[in-house]
Amino acid sequence: MAILKQLCFVFAICLVAEAISSVLPFTLPASVIGIILLLVLLAVKAVKPKDLKEVSDFLLDNMALFFIPVVSSMIQYKDVLFANFWAIVLICLLTTPLVFFVTGHVVQLTVKLLRRKEKKDV
Amino acid sequence: MFETIVNSPMFGLSLCVGVYLLSKWIQRKTKWAIANPVLLGAAFVIAVLSIFKLDYEQFNIGAKVINWMLGPVTALLALGIYNQRKILKEYFIPVVVGCLAGAATSIFSILGLCRLFEVDKAVAAAMVPKSCTTPIAIAIAEAHGGVAAIAATCVAVAGITGVVCAPLFAKWFSIKDPVAQGLATGACSHALGTTKAREMGELQGAMSSIAIGICGMISVVISLFITV
Repeated sequence: MAILKQLCFVFAICLVAEAISSVLPFTLPASVIGIILLLVLLAVKAVKPKDLKEVSDFLLDNMALFFIPVVSSMIQYKDVLFANFWAIVLICLLTTPLVFFVTGHVVQLTVKLLRRKEKKDV
Repeated sequence: MFETIVNSPMFGLSLCVGVYLLSKWIQRKTKWAIANPVLLGAAFVIAVLSIFKLDYEQFNIGAKVINWMLGPVTALLALGIYNQRKILKEYFIPVVVGCLAGAATSIFSILGLCRLFEVDKAVAAAMVPKSCTTPIAIAIAEAHGGVAAIAATCVAVAGITGVVCAPLFAKWFSIKDPVAQGLATGACSHALGTTKAREMGELQGAMSSIAIGICGMISVVISLFITV
């Protein structure tokens, strides 16, 4: 029963999120609104993480399963995939290290500046 | 009999869960980063559909039930963000600044390169969120008319790159601060990279884990203002 209650709760959040998404003047995906709704409920302590434990453990531990139908639909898009194949590969190879480089150095600089400020304050 | 089997919802359901279990088993046995359950699982499904000359729609009669669970799975990401509020408070400024830099760099460099290479719009919209965690990337891609399959595949490729290369990137780019290493890993390779960040150190793991949620949410906000 506990599991069904948890499932029903999560389904209801997603349903409300879809309703909100449909009336928003801009396109915010329903699943993202679901994150925000649940985050708000957690923040105001209307729900506790342990109230969702069984369902969240099961769903999050097996997250990869839920992407298999989407990724399998690639079979319908193989023309567009092959037409852009080398661009996709190149963009993947270039941008991942670039994001690592920029994020790493920006954070290192921020940490350094924060430390310097701390020393001045002391 | 063959017709009955392939047109039953149980066909897609059992194939989907079956290939997932098989892929997880292969991943456990080989321990290869490339043996990713999402990519491997989908490759098995596509192989079965091709061998038996079946339509994706026949698989989807059952598989769509599993696909419906994507919404609930995504909503539950809130738990990860909430559980890290303590460490997030402690490192608030570096986390927010780093994730902003990471998400913006990712989105705008991909957009720019897509324009440069004249990539189709449906592919460009799918690639833009590729540094995000899969459920958020799918949501952003679909909102912009991108092919969700390509989005999820690029996300997996970014994740595998992170698993294999994060320690190398840290060395090459001389990122020595553990907070910076963790955030950089999480920002470019989300949940998959986080497994590697945990091996690099406890603080790196925590930072990478925080970057998944924060970069995801920041990317959603940035994506509201871009046109692909």
